[in-house]
Amino acid sequence: MTEVLEGSRVPVTVLTGFLGSGKTTLLNRILTENHGKRIAVIENEFGEVGVDQELVIGADEEVFEMNNGCICCTVRGDLIRILGNLMKRRDRFDYIMIETTGMADPGPVAQTFFMDDEMRDKMQLDSVTTLVDAKHVSQHFDDSPEVTEQIAFADVILLNKVDLVEEGEVDKLEARIRSMNAAAKIYRTKDAVLELDKVLDVGGFNLDRALDIDPKFMEPEYPFEWAGVYELEAGKYEFAFEEGPDPAMKAAILPISNADSVELDLARDRTVLLFSGEEHPVEAGKSIVPSQKVYELDLGGGKSSFGVEISEAGAYALFTEHYPEEFEAELRGNGTPLSPVLEREYAPDHEHDDEVTSVGITTPGDLDVQKFNAWLGDVLQNLGQDIFRMKGVLSLAGEDTRFVFQGVHMLFDGRPDRPWREGEERTNSLIFIGRNLNREELNKGFEACLAEK
Amino acid sequence: MPRGKVAGRKANGLDTLWRASLDDYVNDLAWSSDGRTVAAADVAEPISILEADTGEVLKRLSGHGFGTTSLSWNTRGVLASAGQDGKVRLWDVNSGEGKELDGGSQWVEKVAFSPDGKHLVSSAAKKIRMWKRSGELLWESEDHQSTVSDVEWKPGSARDLATSAYGGVSLWKPGSPKPARKFEWQGSTLKISWSPNGKYIATGDQDSTVHFWIVSHGMDLQMFGYATKVRELAWDAHSRYLATGGAEAVTVWDCGGKGPEGSRPLSLEAHTEFVSTLSYQRRGNLLLSGGGDGLAVLWEPGRTESPLAVTTLGSAISTLTFSPDDKRAAVGSDDGSVWMMGIS
Repeated sequence: MTEVLEGSRVPVTVLTGFLGSGKTTLLNRILTENHGKRIAVIENEFGEVGVDQELVIGADEEVFEMNNGCICCTVRGDLIRILGNLMKRRDRFDYIMIETTGMADPGPVAQTFFMDDEMRDKMQLDSVTTLVDAKHVSQHFDDSPEVTEQIAFADVILLNKVDLVEEGEVDKLEARIRSMNAAAKIYRTKDAVLELDKVLDVGGFNLDRALDIDPKFMEPEYPFEWAGVYELEAGKYEFAFEEGPDPAMKAAILPISNADSVELDLARDRTVLLFSGEEHPVEAGKSIVPSQKVYELDLGGGKSSFGVEISEAGAYALFTEHYPEEFEAELRGNGTPLSPVLEREYAPDHEHDDEVTSVGITTPGDLDVQKFNAWLGDVLQNLGQDIFRMKGVLSLAGEDTRFVFQGVHMLFDGRPDRPWREGEERTNSLIFIGRNLNREELNKGFEACLAEK
Repeated sequence: MPRGKVAGRKANGLDTLWRASLDDYVNDLAWSSDGRTVAAADVAEPISILEADTGEVLKRLSGHGFGTTSLSWNTRGVLASAGQDGKVRLWDVNSGEGKELDGGSQWVEKVAFSPDGKHLVSSAAKKIRMWKRSGELLWESEDHQSTVSDVEWKPGSARDLATSAYGGVSLWKPGSPKPARKFEWQGSTLKISWSPNGKYIATGDQDSTVHFWIVSHGMDLQMFGYATKVRELAWDAHSRYLATGGAEAVTVWDCGGKGPEGSRPLSLEAHTEFVSTLSYQRRGNLLLSGGGDGLAVLWEPGRTESPLAVTTLGSAISTLTFSPDDKRAAVGSDDGSVWMMGIS
């Protein structure tokens, strides 16, 4: 097949969202704003506001399977037909917007641009942009899988109509949406008002921008739930537990150079690594010391206590696998409970147990290519139907360049990227967005693909 | 392309006789039955009636808003057209007057006169409509499973036809809104081609396969290994060879003898991009292929796998069709050019 230059393909934005979320308002805004682009609009339903544009084509949402029944290979026949014809025209459009019905599954729409040669050669899916009605969406989370799928697929999410909802509620909603889709850009809007460059030419499926993910959203799920920073004098302390839900708990205590959040974050990253290593069992009554070790405290199911020996005065960060309050655990000096000068909680908000989640993996080191291929093949084979989107940057053993990839369901698209820079840490960062994903298993499976050092 | 003369035969050639320029991508070309004119539809609105000998535009018909998709002449010189305005039109080419019929949806994909010229079928969305040549609506089919991708009359038959859609092929008898028979296949069928002897129906499919249906008992054969979806099919006049696209090579299946099952097809290689259109002579053995590479290539499958002649037309070829006397072929391209090629 002939090589197609990125620039020669016409970008396509897929607009999803429930009826009433403001899709048509956004569409009209895009069409009337002075951006110099000629935009063709493919409409699936009549929106609440008529679209005023010379070329609006109605589609009829014709979904079919390419290969006998696999949902990962479903495409939209109507789009192949309509867009195929549109692309014949000499007066090519600069941009194509596809407005789907509120109940549409974005999967087949997106897959159409990868499964059909003609579509792939002539057009470039730029983004799935999802509008969310901030006032009403919560009602639909539980009874409508379409809402969560539209959020999961999105590169850009507009939390629209925020003016109708109290700010605190919007914060909660955003956090919940973020836990479903950690890779999307989320904007709060009123009347879908937003700079157009946030919606057009976003490059959501562009490998060059595969890792344009805000790093703070790539945070892994931490293996500990709590950390406290204490200013301690040299001496003997006591870590005391009441009866709690678990018979054992991992903990680590590290000296840090300052009792501030910067130092705590550094210690946090070191501790993530410690927790992935071997733990050192400690019986009740024995002591632990600040070190680069993770201890497994044997709580025995009842009251227990451990010594903490501090040889040098300074700031120390204590990390615990569970919340101390679950065990009424306290760090005591001379029998008096000590308060941490700084405290952090790392467990995600478990208030809503949404089926759709994002699993981010950030692991330094090089991958054994064969192992990784086998593992990813296995993951896509078994979970492909449940994985909506994935993207990432990989460090492959023996390669001087980064490897970037992205995918929709089972469709995988990847290639070598720029060389690793001098002094740059070779790190793998990837994200899966899907339904019922097992975070621990994905992490373990991935870790097992790291090459021997 | 240089080649030695074969004893007893003169070398075949493709000669460019003329070139006409239309507004945009040529969607369809249709010869009038007397071979004097070619109607050309492009993705812009008008329909051009070209003089076959000179390429001169004899008439411009207003065509269809958003583009004309399909053309068909009947033996009495009436031209039918379909378009993206949801209409079917019957044209009196001399006066330029068109009679407008409602295609039944916002987009009409295809029109075709029956071999005897008395009936016209149109396909739009999930239905086909049957018209008298006068424009009177006779019947409308029930919904197909999806949009009707193609419709074709049974060769030589005044009444029977076949349609393709997602879910396979349907055979229709006149007057009934329900298909007389169905050949089911859970895939998206894009193009249909009935062998001239009526025994086979071949389909080209979205999933890069070709199907053969044996009409008498409905058995089917599936041909794998194509590089892309297959929309290019052409039978030779003797119903022996089926030429197919779906790749850079033209793949030709030999349906003579025991049939194509398990056989290795001929692979005709000259194009450097996907084949975009194929046409066999109406009575002769020559096959003409057009490609995205802008090449028109003449073949004689069964005699040689080498091309008989190659002509570079510059722009991707969208459609081509032989004249009623097989001596010429009209070729359309994506830049709006119509070429007349002499076949020698």
